[in-house]
Amino acid sequence: MALHLATVTVMDQNGLHARPAGQLVKLVNDSGLMVRIGRVGEELVNANSPLRVMALKAKWSDQLAVEIESDDLEAAETLVSAIQLALGESK
Amino acid sequence: MSHLPGTVLGGVGIGLNAVSAEVFRVRARKSTTQSARSGSASEETSALTAAIAKVSKELEHMAVQAESSNAEIFQALSLMIQDPELFESACRHIDKGWSAGSALFLAVEEFAQLLSGDALLEERAADLKDLATRVSAELNGVGLGMEIPLRGRVVLVGEDFFPTDVAQFGKAVVGVVTSKGGPTSHSAILLRSMGIPAVLGCDGADQLLDGQVVLVDPAGDRVMVDADMSSATQSISMIAKSFEPIVPVRANIGSLDDAVRASATAAEGVGLLRTELLYLAQHTVPSVDEQTKSYSDIFAAAPEGPVVVRTIDVSTDKPVPFLSVDPKAALTPGYSLLSDNREFVIGQLKSIERARELTGREIWVMAPMVDSASEAIEFAELARTHGHYRVGVMVETPSLANEVAKLKGKVDFVSVGTNDLSQFLFETNRLAPLSPSLLSPWQPKLIKLLGKIAKAAQAANIATGVCGESASDPVFAIVLAGLGFDSVSASMSQVGAVRSALSSVSLDEAAEVAQVALGAGSAESAKAMVLGALRRY
Repeated sequence: MALHLATVTVMDQNGLHARPAGQLVKLVNDSGLMVRIGRVGEELVNANSPLRVMALKAKWSDQLAVEIESDDLEAAETLVSAIQLALGESK
Repeated sequence: MSHLPGTVLGGVGIGLNAVSAEVFRVRARKSTTQSARSGSASEETSALTAAIAKVSKELEHMAVQAESSNAEIFQALSLMIQDPELFESACRHIDKGWSAGSALFLAVEEFAQLLSGDALLEERAADLKDLATRVSAELNGVGLGMEIPLRGRVVLVGEDFFPTDVAQFGKAVVGVVTSKGGPTSHSAILLRSMGIPAVLGCDGADQLLDGQVVLVDPAGDRVMVDADMSSATQSISMIAKSFEPIVPVRANIGSLDDAVRASATAAEGVGLLRTELLYLAQHTVPSVDEQTKSYSDIFAAAPEGPVVVRTIDVSTDKPVPFLSVDPKAALTPGYSLLSDNREFVIGQLKSIERARELTGREIWVMAPMVDSASEAIEFAELARTHGHYRVGVMVETPSLANEVAKLKGKVDFVSVGTNDLSQFLFETNRLAPLSPSLLSPWQPKLIKLLGKIAKAAQAANIATGVCGESASDPVFAIVLAGLGFDSVSASMSQVGAVRSALSSVSLDEAAEVAQVALGAGSAESAKAMVLGALRRY
């Protein structure tokens, strides 16, 4: 299984709180893919766990690393952009 | 020990209207004692799975029942209690010999530790504990002991209420008092939108007795024992003396649902249609046809009167997916959305114009976050080339507030966003959280600036309105009318209250009240002096 790496930015002014965390988890669940997320250079957590995602305590403008297991490059890329949308669009 | 009649208990008020009714105490839930499991590990695990499924189903049901913006709260809670890692952790505790309920509490405790240190996340940890209590009650086949009266009028008094509790409050719950809890909790948001006055974090609430009459006085941030409405901070002189308010009261809306609900209020048109919600779920720019359909539906459903549409605002906490916005720049005065997303704004203006033609409604269009007269004029010219609506801008920054005179002959109206205006007035950007006292619209510096805006606009023959939070405060709305604003736009739940306040005084009296507010030295004294003046009418 290929591992796709990407970086997303938290654009919600209140940080990665309950609502965006919930949106993120929903996207991950709907995709059926194995996704991990976390601060760059730190241990990543399973992105299907809203509590783990919230516990990252990511604030506005923080960068997060995303790791997706998938052989379908297109599916992985679509998911990354959807995740970025859940956290707010970056430029 | 009980309280003597007239005792005043301080707390944080939620809502604006006071209410007086009998206390109904809700006992704190029994804290479950840790217990070893009686069945096998696999039996306990499947019981836990079933109980979690039941509770999340209840949450989904609450989401369906709630207003659109509140539904997300319950959806987020549902995802939290279904968290796979929470479940795995609970299973490990079951394997060690704990019962399903105890195991879940131990797992919740682990996550509460991870979420500690951040006020917002600690609130979520408290929500999670509440959800675990529900799962545990489900496992033990017991009710939660929260029997809420369905008839009569009661003030519910308890330690703290969670969103899941608040969702069950029926019409009989006319007020809420808690000994814990604060103004930023999910419950506070729900109570506010349900129009239930509350005083949270109230010292001495635990000593209130069942059946005792209390006055819940959120405007005064207090609860009074054995007091009736005559002691309420805001109940004075709000008796309508005329049929029509001295200035029109419009409603703030953000969706078709809102438009339908607003038409059931006494609102005279819409003073602020936020358009962000129409675009948040879209990943690409919707076509002009699609946008026209959305706007037509809303215009057709909106309450009678003008509909003031605000073109897209990027500086909210919900970024629109397809817009190119540098969030740091968007939060500073001087940022121009128009220069970065001109095509999108043009599409919006075209769609609004088509919907206007289709529905025959009176439409006003305004741009948010405009920082200078030249930017306002640029927007007005652009808007006029695309439609025959009245054109205006929001005044949300001190720099534009000081340039209103330059808009003469260029814009038809200005609408003041008091929340952002006070943010900018007291801080440099929207990110730095302000102390609640500085956010009070009663700040003398803000009232003076508002007066200046109204005066300059009047002289320039420009219509004026206020659509910020302050216009939802009935007493402040009188000050706004007295300062010379031609209309106010309030949140839907406040339209009635603001309307009756504005029908209780004459324009001359409002002008006198505004002078009183302008003469005050602090926010507290401004409010107290205005209330004192109103008592005389």
